[in-house]
Amino acid sequence: MKFVCVLCDTPMKLEETVGPVEGSLTVTFACPSCAHRIALLTNPWETQLVRALDVKIGGRNTPPESWEFVKAMLAARREGALEGAGDVAAPEEGSAASTEPSSRDFGETSASSVEPLSRDAQAEGLGAGPRCPFSAVANRAAEAASLTWDPAAEQRLERVPDFIRPMARQGIERFAAERGFTRITEEVIDEVRGTLGF
Amino acid sequence: MKTYWDIAGDGGSNVAAQVEAQTARLRGRMAHVRRKVAVVSGKGGVGKSTVTANLAVALAMQGLRIGVLDADVNGPSMAKLLGVRGRSLHMGPNGILPPEGPMGIKVVSMDLLLPSDETPVAWHGPAQQESFIWRGMMEVNTLREFLADTAWGELDLLLADLPPGTDRISHLTGLLPDLTGCLVVTVPSEVSHLIVKKAVSAVRDARWAPTLGLVENMGRFTCKHCGAPEAMFPGGDTRAMAAAMGLPFLGSIDFDPRLAAASDRGVPFLLSHPDTPAGEALTRIARTIQAWMEAE
Repeated sequence: MKFVCVLCDTPMKLEETVGPVEGSLTVTFACPSCAHRIALLTNPWETQLVRALDVKIGGRNTPPESWEFVKAMLAARREGALEGAGDVAAPEEGSAASTEPSSRDFGETSASSVEPLSRDAQAEGLGAGPRCPFSAVANRAAEAASLTWDPAAEQRLERVPDFIRPMARQGIERFAAERGFTRITEEVIDEVRGTLGF
Repeated sequence: MKTYWDIAGDGGSNVAAQVEAQTARLRGRMAHVRRKVAVVSGKGGVGKSTVTANLAVALAMQGLRIGVLDADVNGPSMAKLLGVRGRSLHMGPNGILPPEGPMGIKVVSMDLLLPSDETPVAWHGPAQQESFIWRGMMEVNTLREFLADTAWGELDLLLADLPPGTDRISHLTGLLPDLTGCLVVTVPSEVSHLIVKKAVSAVRDARWAPTLGLVENMGRFTCKHCGAPEAMFPGGDTRAMAAAMGLPFLGSIDFDPRLAAASDRGVPFLLSHPDTPAGEALTRIARTIQAWMEAE
């Protein structure tokens, strides 16, 4: 996604990033010629679309693990389905191995390095490295994706009315992530219950 | 005014480079698979997965190294059909080690990951109600990882069992641009033919890979009282349809209740009943495919 100032026909530059707040990020861009400013507001669904592409916005600094995407995004997984330590996906030995580029070949950087943006960094412009304004939201979504929901906890969530269920889910996942939980159980829901009122 | 393409760079997102890396990883893995064949039907319930499983066994019995990708992410059945359901996947230094079914057939299926019979495939997301918007991308990336991150080893043939529906064909076209061919399965009913024709056209229009031919499943059954063969479905002439579409007719597989029973037990029918009409038909079709592979 890129922005151009209609008045000046100049690529706009990132000025400020605020958030995420409730899964939304406010990103302000400014035209370097006329100082015209705009703000882009993201929603969690836009973030999800980025996640569905299986890319880490801003780049990655470690090679991908095998089935990393499936492991992170599948909502329920059989216990013991995957055994063994984390590993690095690589093609089998052979002639084709040399054709596979290393992640380093793409100049990837740590996702954590993409936020927050300094004024100096903003001044470098949109194409000046992996400083994408959407990183924060996307990476928060990735953190949430690493949480596993117990079936019983999922059932509890199902009792929440449809129209507020997404908000409840977000609240519970945020609560769990802040406390370093990797699994959402009924006990976690009990803890958060008072706060969300269900 | 400047367009998107007039402005250099990707805004720092690094998305294009990551997608390129994913593609290269997949290409590297698939370079060790000599042939890739997709099994499609368009119509559900024609026995496509059962045919896939038994053809895999028939080809493995000919000495080929076979892998099976269950590309039906939401309705996976290959793990059950090939007797590996409930087995664990092991993470090796070179990727996920897939379980091996009969004759050393390597199987990857979403079913291996699901916690129970009742659990549907669901993805983390802001709301399941809107999941139709991004679900397709989730499925494509799942298949990409299944293909690229599995330690398939050296294979002579990878069979990809696609879900019903012509729309899902496009899920694999981008992942396997060098697909060797498509096998189309139908039952001899006019309703099935109506849908299957669309699947053939979709494959053709996508210019993805040649259609190797049509396989007719449940063509006839044998009367248990008099032993006479009878048509399962009235009206549909699969051989004529194949001729009309300019496709090879690869053979007809008789309906046999023992085939369904074997599938339920996770034991490929061909192993226990190779000398039945259905078993012989499957073996003949497999030999045709093998001959075509050798001629390629």
